[in-house]
Amino acid sequence: MNAAGDPGETLVVRRVIPAPRERVFRAWLDPASLSQWMRPGRATDATAEVDARVGGRFRIVMIEGPKKYEHTGEYLAIEPPKRLEFTWISQATDHRPTVVTIEFLERDRGTELVLTHRRLPAKQLESHRRGWTDILQLLEQLPGAPG
Amino acid sequence: MVERLSSNRARTRRLDRVYGAIADPTRRAILSILAGGEVNVGTLAGRFPISFNGVSKHVKVLEQAGLVRRRIRGREHWLKLRPTPLRDASRWLEHYREFWDTRLEALEDFLVNESNTGQRRGDRGRRSSK
Repeated sequence: MNAAGDPGETLVVRRVIPAPRERVFRAWLDPASLSQWMRPGRATDATAEVDARVGGRFRIVMIEGPKKYEHTGEYLAIEPPKRLEFTWISQATDHRPTVVTIEFLERDRGTELVLTHRRLPAKQLESHRRGWTDILQLLEQLPGAPG
Repeated sequence: MVERLSSNRARTRRLDRVYGAIADPTRRAILSILAGGEVNVGTLAGRFPISFNGVSKHVKVLEQAGLVRRRIRGREHWLKLRPTPLRDASRWLEHYREFWDTRLEALEDFLVNESNTGQRRGDRGRRSSK
């Protein structure tokens, strides 16, 4: 139903972090910080390169055992400490640019992050889309019992 | 916390296996047949214009993704569809949601640890310009 190039889907994730807004904001642009937390888990590693200006690019490589997952993008808006917007391209986005906007809101308990990920590939990754039509039909045929 | 992170990771990996498994048209056809009920391997293989071994390999991928369960009765291998991972994976936005949930959790850990040790301020200006 969705052709390539359509606006795609939108995901919103929120979290309150008990730290001041400036620090939370900074953690997104500092490569030393990014390489600490932008990774799948403690046992693995990540590298981050950041050119923190509008139009500048970043590259984060998450390393999980022998596997490397590259995430790249370009900064669209940098408004410390309130708002950050960048494109986000990875294997999980079918190597197509998606857009991540993060708002940093002051709260009593710290900073609320509202992360909006837009233009996510609709329904499924492009290469799997036909497959999903089949699968969704198959699921409809099945009795609804969890199992 | 570590446990939660790794269980998210395991779930993401599971989803990846499901996405990989259903990317192939032969495997989707196998799933459609199994949606009609349990089938033995020989009968299933007979319905495809490829070799028994070819079908068998596809079935193994489906088993590894948790989509098919094999029961051995005597010399016969029977295959049954397990739809739950398909249902999970069809809620595909969850894949991305988990990615960000896990990242934000890690960000929180990082910032809380940083303020506990309190000695990381020097990180501020270090910005590579590559």
